Amino acid sequence: MMTRALPGWTACAAAVALSLGGVASARAGTGATASFAPGDPPGEWRRQARDYANTRFSPLDQIKKDNVGHLRVAWTFSDGAAYGHEGAPLVEGDTMYVVTPFPNIAYALDLSKPGSPIKWTYKPDPTPMAVGKACCDAVLRGWALANGKLIYNILDGHTVAVDVKTGKEAWRIKMSNVSSGATMTMPVMVVGDKVYAGNSGGELGAHGWLAALDVNSGHELWRAYSTGSDADAKIGPDFKPFYPWLVGKDLGVSTWPADAWRHGGGAVWGWISYDPELNLMYYGTSNPSPRVPAQRPGLNLWTSAMFARDADSGMAKWAFQFTPHDQWDYDGVNENILIDAPFGGRMRKVLVQLNRNGFGYTIDRETGEVLVAKPFGNLNWATGVDMATGQPIVNPAMQPQPEIKLDNVCPTDVGDKDWEPGAFSPQTGLIYAGIFNICMDVTDHPQSYIAGTPYDGMEMQRHAGPGGNWGEFIAWDPVKGEKVWSIKEKFMTMSGALATAGGVVFYGTVDGWFRAVDAQTGDILWSQKLGSGVIAQPMTYLGPDGRQYVAIYTGVGGAATISSAMPGYPPRGSTLYVFSIDGDSVASGPGMKETDAAAPAPSGDTAQPKK
Amino acid sequence: MLRVALLIAIFVSADVRAAETTNPADPPSVDAAGPLAGEPRVPLGDVAGDHGGLVPVVPNPADARTGAINRGKQLFVRMNCAGCHGYDAKGGMGPDLTDRYWRYGGSPVAIYESIIEGRPQGMPSWSAAIPSEEVWDIVTYIESFGGASPAQDEHAQREGDEPGELTAPEVEGKP
Repeated sequence: MMTRALPGWTACAAAVALSLGGVASARAGTGATASFAPGDPPGEWRRQARDYANTRFSPLDQIKKDNVGHLRVAWTFSDGAAYGHEGAPLVEGDTMYVVTPFPNIAYALDLSKPGSPIKWTYKPDPTPMAVGKACCDAVLRGWALANGKLIYNILDGHTVAVDVKTGKEAWRIKMSNVSSGATMTMPVMVVGDKVYAGNSGGELGAHGWLAALDVNSGHELWRAYSTGSDADAKIGPDFKPFYPWLVGKDLGVSTWPADAWRHGGGAVWGWISYDPELNLMYYGTSNPSPRVPAQRPGLNLWTSAMFARDADSGMAKWAFQFTPHDQWDYDGVNENILIDAPFGGRMRKVLVQLNRNGFGYTIDRETGEVLVAKPFGNLNWATGVDMATGQPIVNPAMQPQPEIKLDNVCPTDVGDKDWEPGAFSPQTGLIYAGIFNICMDVTDHPQSYIAGTPYDGMEMQRHAGPGGNWGEFIAWDPVKGEKVWSIKEKFMTMSGALATAGGVVFYGTVDGWFRAVDAQTGDILWSQKLGSGVIAQPMTYLGPDGRQYVAIYTGVGGAATISSAMPGYPPRGSTLYVFSIDGDSVASGPGMKETDAAAPAPSGDTAQPKK
Repeated sequence: MLRVALLIAIFVSADVRAAETTNPADPPSVDAAGPLAGEPRVPLGDVAGDHGGLVPVVPNPADARTGAINRGKQLFVRMNCAGCHGYDAKGGMGPDLTDRYWRYGGSPVAIYESIIEGRPQGMPSWSAAIPSEEVWDIVTYIESFGGASPAQDEHAQREGDEPGELTAPEVEGKP
């Protein structure tokens, strides 16, 4: 069901149809489909989710169910950075681009040469202070290619653009004061001439925002805050939330105790989606600060919520709060996957978010109406969602009170699913995602705000939920709101998902397994143990040699650190693994012995000369 | 030159403080002239040259006060230490304070200095926010986890020496 197909989608659809006998047009499975704008060449991967809709679906199909068992390592790359590796490498033309976690060094790798040697290195030299201001490890969730630039956030509150040809800095802008506790870890999203970037720091009382920068100069065009007045939040006459309880003047102020919104969180540290037809962008906001709800009676808008905004002006079109007056740290930042799905006999433009609070939401992305809200994971903080209001029905027994230990609240602060993004396949109409099965014993300690320190207050002991498994990989029907199949994992399943036209879905585990599964059945077709845990995002690309490769970073860390006491939890790592059928690559063949004069990788002491 | 002068100042200061604090019942008055003036100091790193075994030994003056651990524990939560180092002090955003690994020294005065001065990877300076006596209370609470080193063992800990380990003859000057 392509409405007003874009040129790129036509190419994708043709590729899929050719190889699979018209599966795409058959609307298999749930009947859901998607637009794959902007329609990049099938073999490329220029942004973390590949497309604006955040499907993480590749039209490549050389690697498929009947040969995926022959995947072998083609080449590897270790960047030596010590923190959690959460991003996916990007590929444009014959070059791959990766950026390390702190200290956020960028590398361009030449895919046309044996071993993919380094073409250039860019070193932004962030302040080490940032490491201690990042709540959940000194990570970076991704980077973007656009307009001949590699664009990404630096942990210490800057955004940079690097010329992809030369590796020289094109622009650099300071976005926040790291000493106040605001860091930047999210992957920027570029649409047209705008770079969208947001902050992190919901655990340090940051004032959350999303900003638009000019892609060519880096100049800030606008900034929309998640709390504060309507002017701060860029809420104007066009703002039409679906539910009456979200209508009112300056709700970002009035739903808080006096002035509490100033350090109220709502950081924008997750994913951005874009619908070119509606010209709307979508993103979620973090938990409110402090994490002690007794200190902030009220709905605490617009935290643990999401916005739909005009992509050019930034003005809000609608908003929805998943977890009103969030008492458990259920951020709303998880990816919104934009699909078209049948409801009531017609196709509707919807978005799907598997929220940290454990409910899988399917929401009309034109209006903000909740169409589906069903549990995808284990939860006991609520008994359901009232479909008349979209509000959860909170279980009163699971509301934390100050200085009183409350046992077995599910899920924990990292939710039933964290930021690790799912994928959508138009072949099945299903969403694929890694989720968690973790509960907590929680004690709230009221907090005072001290700039640059945690504004947090949740003391927790976390443990596995029913069944004893910490992780699970699921296929989710976004129309019915139910699991189609699931694979239980002993360790957290905190990697992104990749779906391909080969009918195969990829994911990794915190104990270091990388798996390929049948998108229809969930049968595990191939598994490979890697050097460290996987909390990054798999991607696939076509090399200059015409082969399909699958790539995944290893390097455990991030929020997976909450499970580090488990026996078998791996040490840190920093290796990118690239796989192909039989391990073939441009370096294949007996007698291969070629060394390219590559740019030296910087050691900790050799800074790249400044401009 | 500046560095040399500073080092001398540090040693003079530390030496004086050590002399003053030989009687634990008579803890030093520490914040008479502002948050940093007159504080006991030890160098952050090793000491170049032949320093003649001059290693400052600065006991925790709060040791002699009753209730220091409990006061320190309350401060540890109230001043958001727990937010970074964990409510069990076993680490989180900030390092584990219960083990024997100390990036900036694990003696009482080294921990005191880390709190007062702050450290580069995100540890703020608390010199303006917490009075010296209360910082020593926090140090006492941290010492109660068992990972800190006694004041006189500062040098040994920096050398990576563990109590009860063997020592090779070469180290003892008996080849």
